[in-house]
Amino acid sequence: MSLRRFFRRRQWDEERARELEAHLAHEIDDNLARGLSPQEARRQAYLKLGNPTAIREEIWKMNSLVSIEDLGRDIRYAFRQLLHSPGFAAIAIVTLALGIGINTAIFSMVNGLVLSSLHIQDESRVLEIGFRQQGAPWQPTLSVPEYQQLSAQTTNVFSSVFGDQYGLDGLSMEGSRPDRVFTDYVTGNFFQSLGVHPMLGRFFHPSEGVTPGADPYMVLSYAYWKQHFAADPSIVGRHIDLDGQPITVIGVAPPSYRGLSSILEVQAYLPMAMNVTVENTPVADYNKQANRGLRLYGRLLPGVTARQADAALALAARSLAAAHPSEERGADLRVFSLAAGRLTGGLDQNNSFETVSAIFLSLAALVLLLACVNVANLLLVRATVREREMVIRSALGAQRFRLIRQMLTESLLLALFGGIGGVSLGLAGSYLLSNINLQSDLPLNFDFGFDWHVFVFSALVAVVAGLFVGVVPAVRLARANLNLILREGGRGIAGRGHKFRDALVTIQIGAALLLLIIAGLFTRTLSQSEHADLGYDPSHVLTLMIDPSEIGYNEARSLEFYKDLLPRMRTVPGVVSATAAESIPMGMIDNASDTVTIDGYAPPPGQAPPSIGYNLITTEYFQTLRIPIVEGRDFTNADNGNSLSVAIVSEAMAQKYWPHQDPIGRHFTMSQDPSHSLQIVGVAANARYGTIAGAIPDYFYVPFLQHSQLNTLLALEFRTLGDPASMAPEIERAIHSITPGLPVFEIKTLHQALYSPNGLLLFQVVASLAGVMGMLGLVLAIVGVYGVLSYVVSQKTSEIGVRMALGAQRSDILAMVYRQGLWIVGIGLVIGLAASYGAAHLLRSMITVSAADPATFISVPALLAVIALLACYVPARRATRTEPMEALRTQ
Amino acid sequence: MVRSNKEQELLLGTLDMLILQTLVMGPAHGHTIAHIIEHTSDQVLQIEQGSLYPALHRLEDRGWVSSCWGASENNRRARFYRLTAAGRKHLHQQTHRWRTMVHAIGSVLSKAGEVSR
Repeated sequence: MSLRRFFRRRQWDEERARELEAHLAHEIDDNLARGLSPQEARRQAYLKLGNPTAIREEIWKMNSLVSIEDLGRDIRYAFRQLLHSPGFAAIAIVTLALGIGINTAIFSMVNGLVLSSLHIQDESRVLEIGFRQQGAPWQPTLSVPEYQQLSAQTTNVFSSVFGDQYGLDGLSMEGSRPDRVFTDYVTGNFFQSLGVHPMLGRFFHPSEGVTPGADPYMVLSYAYWKQHFAADPSIVGRHIDLDGQPITVIGVAPPSYRGLSSILEVQAYLPMAMNVTVENTPVADYNKQANRGLRLYGRLLPGVTARQADAALALAARSLAAAHPSEERGADLRVFSLAAGRLTGGLDQNNSFETVSAIFLSLAALVLLLACVNVANLLLVRATVREREMVIRSALGAQRFRLIRQMLTESLLLALFGGIGGVSLGLAGSYLLSNINLQSDLPLNFDFGFDWHVFVFSALVAVVAGLFVGVVPAVRLARANLNLILREGGRGIAGRGHKFRDALVTIQIGAALLLLIIAGLFTRTLSQSEHADLGYDPSHVLTLMIDPSEIGYNEARSLEFYKDLLPRMRTVPGVVSATAAESIPMGMIDNASDTVTIDGYAPPPGQAPPSIGYNLITTEYFQTLRIPIVEGRDFTNADNGNSLSVAIVSEAMAQKYWPHQDPIGRHFTMSQDPSHSLQIVGVAANARYGTIAGAIPDYFYVPFLQHSQLNTLLALEFRTLGDPASMAPEIERAIHSITPGLPVFEIKTLHQALYSPNGLLLFQVVASLAGVMGMLGLVLAIVGVYGVLSYVVSQKTSEIGVRMALGAQRSDILAMVYRQGLWIVGIGLVIGLAASYGAAHLLRSMITVSAADPATFISVPALLAVIALLACYVPARRATRTEPMEALRTQ
Repeated sequence: MVRSNKEQELLLGTLDMLILQTLVMGPAHGHTIAHIIEHTSDQVLQIEQGSLYPALHRLEDRGWVSSCWGASENNRRARFYRLTAAGRKHLHQQTHRWRTMVHAIGSVLSKAGEVSR
């Protein structure tokens, strides 16, 4: 029977119908020739042929692959079988639901972070443009003049080049207290190039966003419009204030479009050049060739490849370098694909979300494997019980293929229910994951909705699980010699299947150990990081953020404000010291770095000058965070705009660039401010600001009073006498007594702030997810060990009876059962240890403890062994209680 | 238990064999085939005409016969079946097997007859 015929069977049927008609016609002709009446001739012809429809049906059936009727019968039968043993069905379904549920939850997260569409037109044709100078790492930002120059030079490959730049601004309505919004300043052609259409009103025109102050318009994101304007359709045309500037709302973005990063949640869009007006950027700075803050994207012209775009960009880079020899020295440009899950960092850095995703999907798959093995084992036991049924059905003429199909139908039905349960569990898990308190200072979109990807994934997982658990007993049935079973009185299939079942449970122990060790390594990493010496003392510190520009203060007024504010904050009862800084440890806002030129230090040939992290700080910073000054002096109020530019460097930086020398009095220059050489006046102990793990990066500090033009948004940090959280209302009151309308954001203790996505959050999430999966794996493996040994004991009842009748002691019986358990657990542990060692090496970049961490590699297997042997105890004890006479009698 | 596959095939194959044998004489349509089988077997093998068509379908499926539409002797349209090379070979094998079988059964029966006598 060919597939071709299966699909053409309707045509075949018509063919056959005509053939049968022809046959009847011939027969009638013959009958008429024999002298029968036309009526009788016809009747005889039909009698002789039989029912034409039945014949056609028979041929139709021959052309069918699977008869639907059989399938329906299989399903009904499977249903009845499951209803017959509800206990078995419930356990199998719950086990499968756990396995499928954890996969669904993890996948919904991966889907949300990495795979989800950005909901723009022809996503694959939009590329991000990367820039680098003199071989430095690729960075995603360029300057406004560079944007204009390169978009003019790449019209042969891009239909349009567009860009955006994030900002944080205070949005207020009619004198109400401002709300801080995460804004995106976009080029006028931004939405048009993305192919996104507004839900309400309009988006920007390509002509907008070029002249500073010319187009005071704003588009709201759907989520912000819904949350803060109650989805009011009359919002279009409304006037609002943004950082004290009057702005008109012209539109609302569609709900599907949430920005070009799947994580950062943009709340409002403004035309690019409004950046000058709203954020008080001097026009000269805005148009500076080397002021690179703009991310650029290009949409490829039809038929153009990314390589062609690279070639055109390389050409543009060369002409940039020729036109601006100092700012664009060694400039290089190329395209990168849009990576939705990328948060920050260089373009060619590894995408850590992808790594984390791959790890967790693998761990979830392991849990599913454990669950499937348990259900397969249950089914094997059931297969033994149902052997007689199978034998009888077979003897009555059922084809073996049909019996196997029946068993697969049953397991797929189990998987279907397991899948339904799993999706519900997955929904709950996904909801929990979405509601993790992110402690982030930027609005993050951490909402993993369920889209069809997730459902398709869950359905696939369920089908694979169903086939897996069904195939094992089905194959055994197919291989079994039914005659033998009939003769042996029903101990054929599983009776000889010990080895196979033992192997399954061995795999379970190994997989559970792998899950537990990974969970252990992550937990150890978390606790080590939580107790790690970060270089500062996070206890008793309260942090918050303010930005006087949000109530319309310009730079000069902001500077005066801060000068006035800090001394007054220090008088608040309970405050030990107070300081202001551009960024807080592990924060995402303005945790900045800059390229520096160091006097007397030349980077190795072919390497770019170093880029080093820094912070703008006021006095009392080091007291507040308790970072010791190991050499030289702290900043004072005398380090202001009228005095020599100074800096304090970290010990790491001092040792790297001035080894065995006194760094005090040395000079270096930031590329942002090349006209001022910074003189080092002090060395501070090392502290961690951007990462928890890895080597401590170099760092330096400059006084806010000398660099106040860089920023008006500052974090205030207070060291308090008592519980810092309880000081929050008082401190906020004190700020408002000076400037009543100033919004205060991100009030939290420094300890809380450390659990940010840059800080401990990832470790925490990873450790708790791995922990959940490890526990699931443990439970499933223990159930597996228990189940197999219980079954062995029940099968060996007569053997045990004989042994006891012949004088075996209870301890001998205990040893006999334990020996088998020990083998299974022992081999499983060895396999698991080997696999864990390999896996731990793959995870090296994500853990701070050693990949062969002795504490984990000794305690976890020991714990698992103890629990597994306890699980052996129950069946072993049952074996010792066998009454010899009774055991022998039952046989 | 289950009848062995060979045996099952043999029973099913009887009708197939008869049809193939009929077609050795030349192409024929379903009605003719039915009549030839009835007549040449001296009306002993009264095949149910209806079962002929599924059998023909099966034979064609296996590539032992091929078919096409044509005009019959009394000028009606009919589907004509023709023996293929593979079909001829298969028929040859089947005939040989059948003869061996009949011979074997024959000798068993005659011996059984002697014993019972």
